[in-house]
Amino acid sequence: MPGDHGATGPSAPVLPAPYRTVLKPYGRALADLARGRPDIVCLSGDLTRQCEIDLFQAEFPDRFIHAGMAEANMIGVAGALARSGLIPFVHTFGVFATRRPLDQIVNAVAYPRLPVRIVGFMPGVSSPGGPSHQAIEDVALMRALPGMTVLDVADVTETAQAVAAIADLPGPVYLRLKRGEIPVIFPADHPFSLTRAQLLGDEQADGTGAALVASGMMVAPALAAASALRDSGVRVTVLNVPVIKPLDTATVLAAAAGAQVVITIENHSVIGGLGSAVAEALAEAGLGRPLRRIGLADTFADGALTAPYLFARYGLTTQQVIDAAWTALSRPGQPPRAPSPDLQPGDYAPV
Amino acid sequence: MVAPQGLGYLGQALSAAEQYAAVYGAALRPGTDRVICSPGHYVVAAYAAAAETGLIDEALLASYGQDGSSLAAIGTEHSPVPDYTCGSLGQGLSAAAGFALADRLRGRPGGRTFAFLSDGELQEGQVWEAAMFAGHYRLGRLTVLLDANNSQVDGPVDGITTIEPVAAKWQAFGWDTAELDGHDAAGIAAALAAAAAATRPAVLICRTSTRHGLDCLPPDADGHFIKLPPGLADAAVAELTARLDRHAR
Repeated sequence: MPGDHGATGPSAPVLPAPYRTVLKPYGRALADLARGRPDIVCLSGDLTRQCEIDLFQAEFPDRFIHAGMAEANMIGVAGALARSGLIPFVHTFGVFATRRPLDQIVNAVAYPRLPVRIVGFMPGVSSPGGPSHQAIEDVALMRALPGMTVLDVADVTETAQAVAAIADLPGPVYLRLKRGEIPVIFPADHPFSLTRAQLLGDEQADGTGAALVASGMMVAPALAAASALRDSGVRVTVLNVPVIKPLDTATVLAAAAGAQVVITIENHSVIGGLGSAVAEALAEAGLGRPLRRIGLADTFADGALTAPYLFARYGLTTQQVIDAAWTALSRPGQPPRAPSPDLQPGDYAPV
Repeated sequence: MVAPQGLGYLGQALSAAEQYAAVYGAALRPGTDRVICSPGHYVVAAYAAAAETGLIDEALLASYGQDGSSLAAIGTEHSPVPDYTCGSLGQGLSAAAGFALADRLRGRPGGRTFAFLSDGELQEGQVWEAAMFAGHYRLGRLTVLLDANNSQVDGPVDGITTIEPVAAKWQAFGWDTAELDGHDAAGIAAALAAAAAATRPAVLICRTSTRHGLDCLPPDADGHFIKLPPGLADAAVAELTARLDRHAR
């Protein structure tokens, strides 16, 4: 559809970087939800503080269930709780939430389409724990299950909005959350939606440049890369896709149609996650755009103490987003350098 | 149900018939209690018991395992009778623990949960995760009927892994245990009544055979998936009918 670049989806403003950070936004959001909802119950797989649900445990001890290190059983119990009319939120790291109990999620949750909310922390290479602790194919696994809604949210605002939004969603949900210090990227009136992706900022598509499509932890580097590229005269739109399934295909296609190239950016394997979902949407629509998928290139990620080292080693930095867009657009000369913001303690900046 | 297809999960029905008869005939309160059939292949016995006690239309049984039937040979979400879809083995006890816990959380202390398990399933680690969970939470309203028929796909269970001592294992996880003749329906019913007063979860270890009650079966019949060609099916019906007639007299 060359020339068809007038279509733009809903847009949302972003706060200026560097972003301030907040601790335990998920834990607070779940407790807020549970205060008015006696049907909300909380299960922990021996990672209570790490999953921020010490807040829930303190306030609602009667609705807090230690399942211990037994993920298969935890999912089966949650399925029965959901079938009994309760809304279980199940917590562990994303890697243990999806790899270990996959058959249990299929049989006890997804097939009966029960309202179990599986909350997996520490996505992708944000863990220093090596491949045993890195959820690099959790989105792919969950996306493949019929009826599963898959969320990968970017900041404090989206986290709180997502918790409220999924409370009464029919069917199961996988919610992927960063652990620790969470940035505030979006203002409080951010138009989060379970059905719509959003263009970030007020950049209008004109049929040139790059469309950056990102989710979760990669939204911040996408915004930083976009800023640097724009300073070098490249038109860039940034599409935030917090709901990877069901994908807002119309908005993805509109963003892609308004650009020369599409770059997907995910803290996950390039196989089966956001990049694959976007590729499927483009191909099925017959919308031909060069596509670059930034993510783990079909590899495990080892050798880490810190997340920045891993993000750089495996191609997930702001600079690598800039380079990918620059190259895909065949721009002459050197790509611009990623900004190195002047950080204060507690600020957050993408790698 | 099995005869029209010439094969099926008849061995499971033979080894567990008395257990299902005891639960459906003497203990289960539909609408109050829950039933989980963890080895989903056993659902043939649950269908039969439910038809016998009026929970489903007996005419439905003729559609067992056929294309498009709700009475799938391994239960589905669209199948009647059990309260949970099983079939991928070793998962039912977690569901049963979840139901028992849900009754507690929702203030329904009267509800009981009955979980049918099989001995081969004890090889699955999740069973022991669930046993530990139920023992820790003292889910006294949960009763397991363990069909110890020493049969799995590859042969006798004890030729594949050593699962004994079964009772001691459950006791170590905080469960009350009872060893029973699994073909004594009255004995199982009495044990179910006794377990109703338990403060801990209870497991009734029912010692059984996949060939019990059908003398016409050949000695080498595969207990997991019995072939029942028309001649053998006729002989089985004749044998069972004669036994019923004897009891009726």
